[in-house]
Amino acid sequence: MRVYQVPVHTRLWLATALITCSLPQLLLGPVWQSLLLGVVVAIRWLVDHQRMRLPGRIIRGGLLVAAVGMTWFSFGRIYGPEAGVALLVSLFSLKYLEMVRQRDAYVVIVLGYFVCATALLFERGPGMFLFVLLSMLLLTAALVGINHSETKARASSHIKTGSVLFLQAVPVTVVLFVLVPRVAPLWNMQLDSGKARTGMTDSISPGDISELSESSELAFRVAFEGALPPAAERYWRGLTLSHFDGRTWQQAIPRGGAVDSYLYNGRGAPPDWYQQLQAQGKPQSGYSYQLIMEPTQRRWLFAMAVPMLEEGEASLARDMRLVARAPVTQRTRYSITSFPDLRPAIVLDVLERELMLSLPGDSFGRRARTLADQWRRDSRTDNEIVSRALRHFREQPFHYTLKPPPLTTDPIDEFLFRTQRGFCEHYASSFTFLMRAAGVPARVVVGYQGGEQNTLGSHLLVRQYDAHAWTEVWLQGQGWVRVDPTGAVAPDRIALGLRASLRGDEEAQDTLEGLDSFASGGLLGRLQQWTDYVDFRWQTWVLGYDNASQLQLLRHWLGEASPLRIAASLVAAISVLLTLYMLILLRQAGTRRQTVLEREFWRVHQRVEQQVGHPLAQGLSPQALARVIDLKWPKAGPLAHQWAVYYQQLLYNPGFGAGKAQIRHLRRLRNRLYKLLD
Amino acid sequence: MQALTKALAQVGQVVLGKEEQLKLALTCLMANGHLLIEDLPGMGKTTLAHALARVFQLDYRRVQFTSDMLPADILGVSVFDPKSQDFSLREGPVFTQLLLADEINRATPKTQGALLEAMEERQVTLDGVSRKLPEPFFVVATQNPVDQAGTFVLPESQLDRFLMRISLGYPAPEVERNLLAGGDLRSLVRNLKAVISSEGLIKLTRMVDKVRATDELIDYVQRLLDATRSDDRFVAGLSPRAGLGLLKAARAWALIGGRDYVVPEDVQAVWSAVAEHRLAARQGGSVAAMTQSLLQSVPVVRR
Repeated sequence: MRVYQVPVHTRLWLATALITCSLPQLLLGPVWQSLLLGVVVAIRWLVDHQRMRLPGRIIRGGLLVAAVGMTWFSFGRIYGPEAGVALLVSLFSLKYLEMVRQRDAYVVIVLGYFVCATALLFERGPGMFLFVLLSMLLLTAALVGINHSETKARASSHIKTGSVLFLQAVPVTVVLFVLVPRVAPLWNMQLDSGKARTGMTDSISPGDISELSESSELAFRVAFEGALPPAAERYWRGLTLSHFDGRTWQQAIPRGGAVDSYLYNGRGAPPDWYQQLQAQGKPQSGYSYQLIMEPTQRRWLFAMAVPMLEEGEASLARDMRLVARAPVTQRTRYSITSFPDLRPAIVLDVLERELMLSLPGDSFGRRARTLADQWRRDSRTDNEIVSRALRHFREQPFHYTLKPPPLTTDPIDEFLFRTQRGFCEHYASSFTFLMRAAGVPARVVVGYQGGEQNTLGSHLLVRQYDAHAWTEVWLQGQGWVRVDPTGAVAPDRIALGLRASLRGDEEAQDTLEGLDSFASGGLLGRLQQWTDYVDFRWQTWVLGYDNASQLQLLRHWLGEASPLRIAASLVAAISVLLTLYMLILLRQAGTRRQTVLEREFWRVHQRVEQQVGHPLAQGLSPQALARVIDLKWPKAGPLAHQWAVYYQQLLYNPGFGAGKAQIRHLRRLRNRLYKLLD
Repeated sequence: MQALTKALAQVGQVVLGKEEQLKLALTCLMANGHLLIEDLPGMGKTTLAHALARVFQLDYRRVQFTSDMLPADILGVSVFDPKSQDFSLREGPVFTQLLLADEINRATPKTQGALLEAMEERQVTLDGVSRKLPEPFFVVATQNPVDQAGTFVLPESQLDRFLMRISLGYPAPEVERNLLAGGDLRSLVRNLKAVISSEGLIKLTRMVDKVRATDELIDYVQRLLDATRSDDRFVAGLSPRAGLGLLKAARAWALIGGRDYVVPEDVQAVWSAVAEHRLAARQGGSVAAMTQSLLQSVPVVRR
């Protein structure tokens, strides 16, 4: 068996492609993978340069066992997405090592395409997409290269051919992307993204949200259809917390309440609270928007009150928030319309009222209860109690800060009467406590408030530091009403956002400096705005192009998305493209293209021109060119004439036979000639 | 090929210092084309023609064209022979292998036309009877430059019949000294040895057709033709006949150079002689310089 050698001109492409394809995994995965790849590339280099024999079966087998063993060691298993991809990348490099026949080279390259695709399992941003394209381009160049095994092709011509192939494929790919019906994935891969993301948890205790405020990571994006709501209306509700143990607020449902009547996904008989909502009729004005959630690993979504889902997989909960069917593990898009005028839960049943009035044990918040009792006695209505409480927060020396002093045994009393320095969760928590103590049903709502507009895409960007907590109180005849005690203390927080509200606060300065915002100003802010815009468009146009949006688009174009019409348009589009390519090819065939030999002449012509420093006549024959060289560099004269005569033979003497060997000889002459030209 | 070199050397003995022109004349002869020599009187045109005839053992006639000449004076006439009671053809001077048509532009267009037609057809029709001219048939016409008095300028269409036009020009001083010292040229010409028989010349002309030209070379010739057509300094570009002539002349030149394939230098060598007299400048200026400049600007190798 003849041992196949990857042609010299392709080795570099293959090695580069190998490294590039593996790079995403190498950056994520354990260090030993990089070492393995380094060793493999080094061995292959030595083998290719005859410094070493190809490692035998035993060594290769040993490396294989080691790779599998290390994968097991690092991931605890050898299947599943992470471990599987890690193993695949290791085997990919081992296959490269044992490449013996040409078929092996094909296997390596095809495997490379697959490895590229796996990189998209973990990251699907536009940057990664471009990187994968680059890897595929390199692989294609290598594929072109190994098919050139017999010739003395030049390495750079492979990438050129590869790029041409790529460019020809792009329009076809776009057509396929747009038209081929999307099938739901056959399997659902649960990817553990590994990193502990910052984000909202399902309970809050003092300090939780102020931690979030130190992160400028993206929480979600919102693209409005039409005008944006005013900043003070941008309350993105995530969770309602109704059980308080003195330190921590948690989600709870009324005692004895059925869990399945708590969520309604639009199927089956609607529960009573949904019927109540419907009985109010749909108000005229609402905000329609697309919510693009970043992965949270949680099920709840963030929306303005009262959300109605237009598109996507989620249910409406009794407390007027949206709950996804499965945890959000990747960016997901939901179409939502929010109706701020709807009055949720006008009627409160006994059990629910009991829950919303429940207080922790008597040891917590004694002074607060006394204060609340005082308000109760002095007020005639619940409304009045709420305004009294807000006035209390406004008038007492409360201070809004990111770095509140620690609260120890009784957070409510300590905060309300001693420290009086706190963050939104402190205000929401103590305000809710006071309301309940005064007999007004109340609950804590956590979510985000505000968001920054990207003027390029006019979408809203909500970051982790926009996290917020506020209170909802139940008022007779009005239902649940939002009250934000933080707004009473620090109105800027609501109207202008966290950054503006803390400006001038010495303590918070170092925190603020680390936070991204378009308002950071200058080039950086502009750049961030652009990257965000590209990312957003990528999300909405490419990743967000799912079954539903495809159907919508096809209906718009074809009138009706029937299989026949889709197939016909697919065939038509691709036929048009192929005809176009064919016409271009035919045109090119009409004008014979410059041959290698012809190019060779112009190369020398150009070189001499450069060296001489002034343009030479176009009409120089090879002999005349040699004479020019002779005049300028008498030493190079004989060689130049030799070159010209040889060239003339190759191009004009049909009996001479211009084979590869002859061209090689011509190039040798040319290279020797170059050395004499200076 | 050696014979060709020898032939050149022989002619070179009597036409001193004009190797380039001699070679072109020989090329023209081998390419089966007619030659126009444009020069002042006494530059050695006749000597050249005569020498060529000697070296190739060709029948040679010379006709001095004058303004009162009639076509019959060249082609011949039918005469009534009282003995045989029949007409018989008295062949004119055109029935020869090498005809020197001296000062062709002194004749009237009618007479010029008769000769040029014979050149093209290689046969003469008299009284309805066609008679083939001998083979090879080669016309060397000479012409005084047009500013001379009492001449009829050959129109371009007629000039196209000549494969080449050359001019000898004054000899170089040392050559002229040799010429003056050399004595009687006519006896020198008479003493020239035949190198190739006329049959040998016919064989050579057949060999010219076998000289090969690759596609790349033909492309170059075509680019040159194209350049004359797209260049608006010329009234009109070269005709396809001129193109065929150019290639054929280049083939002959290659054969003289001892090659059986054509290289661009061959084309460039015969370019001016073949192209110049067929082109006319639109707005004056030197046609020679313009024709030559095309060689500078047309890429030899495809870009």
